[in-house]
Formats: sequence, C-alpha cells, structure tokens
Amino acid sequence: MIIAERKPMEEIKQMIAPYNKLLLAGCGTCVTVCWAGGEKEVGILASQLRLARSAEGKEISILEATVERQCEKEMAAELKDKVGEVEAVLSLACGAGVQTMAELFEEKPIFPALNTAFIGMPEKEGLWVEMCGACGDCFLDRTGGICPMVRCAKGLLNGPCGGTRRGGKCEIDPEKDCAWVLIYRRLEKQGRLDLMRKYYPPKNFRAVKSPGRIQAVKA
Amino acid sequence: MRGEIVAFCCERSAYPAADLAGKGKLCYPDNLRVIRIPCAGRVDAIHILKAFEKGAAAVLVLGCEDGACHHITGNIRARERVRYCDMLLKEVGLDGGRVGMFNVAPNETHKFVRIVNEMNEKIKESGETK
Amino acid sequence: MTSCIRDKNIDRVVVAACSPEFKEHVFQQALENAGLNGHLLSVANIREQCAWAHEGDVTEKALELIRMAVNRTRLLQPVEEKELSVNKGVLVVGGGFSALNSAIQLSQLGLPTTLLERESTLGGRIRELENMYGFKTGPMIEAAEGAKNIDILTSAEVLEVEGKIGNFMVRIRKGAEEISRSFGAIVFATGYETEVTDQDFQLKPGVNIISQERLAQMLQASSPKGRPQTVGFIFDFYDENSRFPTLATLSNALAIKQKWGSEVYVLCRDVKVDSEGADQLYREAREHGVVFSKFEEKPRISADDGRVKVEAKDVFLGEDMTLICDLVVAEERILPPAGTKDLSFLLSIRTDSQGFYQDENVHLYPVASERKGIFFIGGCRGDLDFQRALADVSSVVMNVYGLLSSGKVVVEAEKVKVDPQKCVACLTCIRVCPHSAIQLARTEGEKEVAEISDLACDACGVCAAICPAKAIKFEGYSDEQILAQIEALGAP
Repeated sequence: MIIAERKPMEEIKQMIAPYNKLLLAGCGTCVTVCWAGGEKEVGILASQLRLARSAEGKEISILEATVERQCEKEMAAELKDKVGEVEAVLSLACGAGVQTMAELFEEKPIFPALNTAFIGMPEKEGLWVEMCGACGDCFLDRTGGICPMVRCAKGLLNGPCGGTRRGGKCEIDPEKDCAWVLIYRRLEKQGRLDLMRKYYPPKNFRAVKSPGRIQAVKA
Repeated sequence: MRGEIVAFCCERSAYPAADLAGKGKLCYPDNLRVIRIPCAGRVDAIHILKAFEKGAAAVLVLGCEDGACHHITGNIRARERVRYCDMLLKEVGLDGGRVGMFNVAPNETHKFVRIVNEMNEKIKESGETK
Repeated sequence: MTSCIRDKNIDRVVVAACSPEFKEHVFQQALENAGLNGHLLSVANIREQCAWAHEGDVTEKALELIRMAVNRTRLLQPVEEKELSVNKGVLVVGGGFSALNSAIQLSQLGLPTTLLERESTLGGRIRELENMYGFKTGPMIEAAEGAKNIDILTSAEVLEVEGKIGNFMVRIRKGAEEISRSFGAIVFATGYETEVTDQDFQLKPGVNIISQERLAQMLQASSPKGRPQTVGFIFDFYDENSRFPTLATLSNALAIKQKWGSEVYVLCRDVKVDSEGADQLYREAREHGVVFSKFEEKPRISADDGRVKVEAKDVFLGEDMTLICDLVVAEERILPPAGTKDLSFLLSIRTDSQGFYQDENVHLYPVASERKGIFFIGGCRGDLDFQRALADVSSVVMNVYGLLSSGKVVVEAEKVKVDPQKCVACLTCIRVCPHSAIQLARTEGEKEVAEISDLACDACGVCAAICPAKAIKFEGYSDEQILAQIEALGAP
C-alpha cells in the first residue's frame, strides 16, 4: 500500500494563496487507509484552511469530495462538475492520483496536499513502515522474505555491514532492527542458512524502466 | 461579539458533574455550551475545528478519570486527539491552549466549575471575546 | 405528550426541561406509547445547565440550547430493538474456591456450566486456606462433582476464544485431544500464585526461612519434631497490596501460639486490617502474646549458627533490635497465575500494572472485563481476601444469570453501523474497538468490510471518531448530529 503524509501547512497555504474557491479532493484507497487523504482528512484540512483564511480576515469557499481511486481516470472524472465550479484543486491523493487529476482537468491547477512517502504496511494502529522499494527486480526469495534494500539503512545486499549493535540493532538507528540479523534468523528457522554464503552481483537497477510501464500479457 | 466555550461532556462523568454543579447553584460563566457525548473518545478533530469555525472561543473535552473510562481508553484517545487539534489550530495561526482535555469525575462539581472558569479567564485575557 | 404526538402527527420531539439524566427515559416511553420510536427525542437541558447554573437572565442561552437540540433532532433516525438468542452455557475456568462456588451457584440457577481446570484435580489452593478460614474443601468439590448441570474438564486449558457474548466458540485442549464448545459467557477464576520474596534476603529458603505454605503444612502435621522456640514473621515490605499475606500472618501466628506455644514476633511496616475479621485476629494474636514490631527499613537477615538473625530498627523505640529465631516465615508476593499474559493476549483484554486482569471499571463493574460476557473473579484480578472473593462470586453469578437466563437478549439494532459502501477495510476500527466488537465480515462474493456486532458493541463511538473514511454512523451521536448542534451556536 502507498503511504503518504500531509504536507506542512505553510506549503499548502502558499500553494493555494491566490485562490478563493477550492476543491479538496480525497482518495478512498491507500491514503484513506494510512490516515492521510480520506474523507476525514479532507474535512479536517478544509476546516483548517477556512480557519486560516478567516484569521487573515479573508474569505474562502471550499468544496469537499472523495472518490474511490483518484489514479483511475474514470473515477476521478466523477469530480468533473465540482472541478468546474472552483479555481483550483487541492488533491489529497498520492502522486499518481494528483497526476491523473492534472491530466484529466488540464485547465485547472491541481496541487498536491500530500507527500507520497513509500510502499509500506501498518506496524500497529497509526504507524506505517516502509517495506518495498519498488526496485523492479524482487529478490525476497533468497532473503527469507525480508528486503534489505529498504529495511537495511545502508541497503546492503550481501550481508550486514559489521556495525550491527548488540541485540541485533542497526548502527545508524538503534531503534531499528538490523535487517540482516532478521534475515539470518528467518533463514535459520527455515534451515536455509546456506543462502547466507552466496554472493550476489550488484543489483541491476536497469530492471526499473524509467518511466515504468507494464503491459499485461494476459488479456 | 460572542465567545462561547463548547464543552463536549462524557455522559458518564462530566455531564452529570455539570448537572450537579447547576443543582448546587455553583455558578459558572453562561457562555458555556455543553454537548453531550457517550464517551470522550467519540469527539473527533472535525467537531473541535468546526466549533472554532462557528465562532467558539474555546473547546473543552471532558471525560472520565484516567483508568475509570467505561470504554477503557476513550479518555486517553481524547487527550491525544485534543493535543493533535491544538497543533492543527496552531498551524493555522490560532494560539495554543484554547482547546483542552480534562478528567472530571461525576461528583467533581468544583473541578468542573474551576475548569470552565479558568478557560473563560484565558479567553478573556487573549481578547477572544472581541 | 403522548396524545399530542398522536393527534398532531408529530414525528420528532424536543423536550426543554431538566437534565436528560433524570427523565429522558420517561419521555422516551411517552414517545413509544404514542407509537413513535423513543430515539427520536432530544432533551435541551435548560434547568441544571442553564437556569440553575447562572445568575441573571439566561433566557437567550436557554433558547440557544433549544435551537441546538432542535437541530440535532431533525437528523435523528429511529433505532429499533431486536431480540437475539444466546447460548445459556457458562464456562468457568479454574478449579479453586471462586471457580467452584460460582459453578455450583450457576448450575443451581439452571445454567449448564462447564468447569475447566488446568490441573488434574479440583481444589486449587483452597487446601492451604482451610486452616485459616476454618472450612473444608472436600464438600465443595463433592458438590461440584455431584451437580448434574456441571461438566468438569480437568487437565484442560483454553486455546482460543472466538465470537461474542451469547455465543463464544472456545477451543479447549484436554489431555491430548482438542475440543470445541460454545458458551454464552465465560468466567475466569484462575486464582493467583505466590512467590517467597527470598531473594531480598540473599538467602535461599530452607529449613529456617520458609513460606506461609510450608508453615501451614508444618502446623497441620500432628507432632512437629523439635518445636521452634522463637518464630519471626516478616511482611508488608514488598508492596502495598498485602491483604492476603496479612491474613495469613495473623492467623498462622495465632495458630503457632496455640499449638506450639513458641515466642512469636511479627515484624512489619503496617498491619492492614481492612479485611473482614482481620482486626479481630490481630487483637486475638496480641492477647495471646504475639509481639508486633514496626519497622520502616527492610530488616537485615543473616544466618547465625543454624538459626536466623534478624536485625531491624524499631520505629517506636528508635533502637536497633536483634532477634535470633529458630524459624523465619518470609513474606509472600501475590502474583497473577502463570499464563495470564498469554490468556490476556488471546482474549485481547488488558492486565493492570501488576499483571492481574484489569477490572472494566474499578468502582462500578469490578468483575466485568472490557469484553461483554467475559468476567474475571477472585485472585486473578488482584490481591483479594476470602470475603471479597465471595462477593465476586455473587456478583458474577447475578451478572451471568441476568444475561443468559432467558436465553435471549434485547439489543439496539445497528445503533453504530458501518456503511459497507464507504468502508475501505482499513482495519482501524477493529484495532481500536475497546470491546472487540468489530470484525471483518467475510461474506462470500462481497467486498470485505468491517462489521459491528450489536451484542458486543457498547456504543462508545471511538470507532466513529477514528474512521478515516467516515464510514461509521453512530445514530444519536453521528458527525452530522453533533455538528448540527455546533451549527446552532450563536445563530438566532
């Protein structure tokens, strides 16, 4: 799932400063789940912006709407009428959602209200951690299902750096587990420690086509 | 102009405390508007923000004593949420401290009145009742 | 009111009067009598929170309170009640005093009861207490075994608890086999454990330093060889909760005096006599010549030629006292039974700072847990004495009987409800619900969404506040209904 967080208020205020009629567009999928851009957050941000304007003694009119997925043109198109009524759109979607909106409504400025952070999972209620770097060349098969590229602070692919702290913690951030200690323990459990002895050549980042494009083969 | 204090009162603690304060003729400022809620944990950021949008000068969330919440952690969630709202309000230039979460047991009438009075003094000082 | 509602075809009511705390249910009944759903009512509290709370003319405020109530009432929707059938069976986990007594009483009330004990025999720690309280364990166990409504499973443990009040599915391991059974309510009476705080003395418990349990055994033995001349008790320096150690010390000190005639010294910080009968015991002990000595600091204990030397500063005399004892009975710490942590995780129920099960509300509902239909009684919820355990038993029996006896419960249907169209199955509500009342509904062929059990829900609204998709509606306290009251602020 894509994890995002709201931009600093100052940045948002500057982006929308010239406009008095706005649409706040939420997205009902990933960013709702990570508490960043669902209907609830749209309501809170709208209220904040109205309060900010009234503190400056100015007016603002804000429409609020949330669609299921802003990254789907068909779904984003449901906002057509509302976009028509406003001067600009503040999108609470990930980068893909913002761009879909921007492409769909070319004549209107579409601003991002969120910073898209990473692909992750919830560790507990309200805390999300990065799990996948979208490298395009998954090697979780040989690391016991733990990705050292994102979970090791140094992104090392062939064993730990040598700075692992007591208790299997990371040398850079003692709060975090050393990914390679986790990998060792996992492989140990599975009786596949021989994998730790293998060396792998530097990762081929050319596997990531930039810009990424995937054509499904099956119909 | 106006300057209401909106108090979201848990029906198990602060709401009966408010009733009891009235019963005991313990006078408190008449700009208080109590909204009855089932648990302090029911209060969401949007309720607090909208109260300010409507011109309230301060918002109080009043719940049970720590450890005595019928819904276990409702009051603790409320405290976190109020702190979060305080931050949201600061972001948009409203001075901090105009939203507060307090624990009031159903028989703590004097504490209830004191909390309301203190908040009222605070908003008077900052000229919020302009 | 009833005739007015009927005659004028009124569909919602605002009462501007005293606090809803007093008469709301009466007005609701009036609505019901007129054929209107009782939830279509708001009470504007213009007496306690307006007229009585302020000096001077507060008519304007009263009007505003009424406007707030009217705004809310416009948006109210009826909440219907529905009847759900519940399983009348009760599972009582444990085999000690509280467990046996509650199982016996529940079965007498006609509720089929299953008694599940981890050990191979029933009785728990009761035998240790026989001496102290002067009762016999045998008849209690016989009564449980003889009751036709009680099914006894020994050497068994709970593996998993699923479902809700009225219909818990419990997976049980008995010996080598696993069984699944369904119960309407579960009572945990898993007792406590004790630990001699010997490590504080840097001495291993042995012949000279013993536990209360060992002392009780020695006292029961008919003729102890070489009766100790001097016996010292040390207690109340470990923590504040020492009801049980206090009682044990007092009764055993008295028993030593009466049986062995030894010199008995009790060294403690305080003797807490809040348990029933403790004050009496304390007096008797003093009358029989037990010497009490108050100290503040931990006593120093050392081995002294086969005897035990205890040194402590007596608070009242202000002097160091040295006591050479033949036998020292050390304080016992009361601990939650082994497995409490696992069980609390399994049930998603909290434990308190000392690891005992946390009461749902210390004052109002001491034996209830945060999950409806699951109860904790006796030693597993803290340092209890015998009388308190008995009170727990009566309390839980009444609670369970009230819940299950009719085989049906009436609940408010969908008062708090997830809109399946809006739910994005983010699991937030499931994670935060304090009553474990929400689950992911896995309806075949449909989108997975959160679903709230009307039975387990306690209507707090924590889920409605936190839902990032605003998919949960709490009728009566929905966002719209709360915001409608705010909308009325100041607006004439």
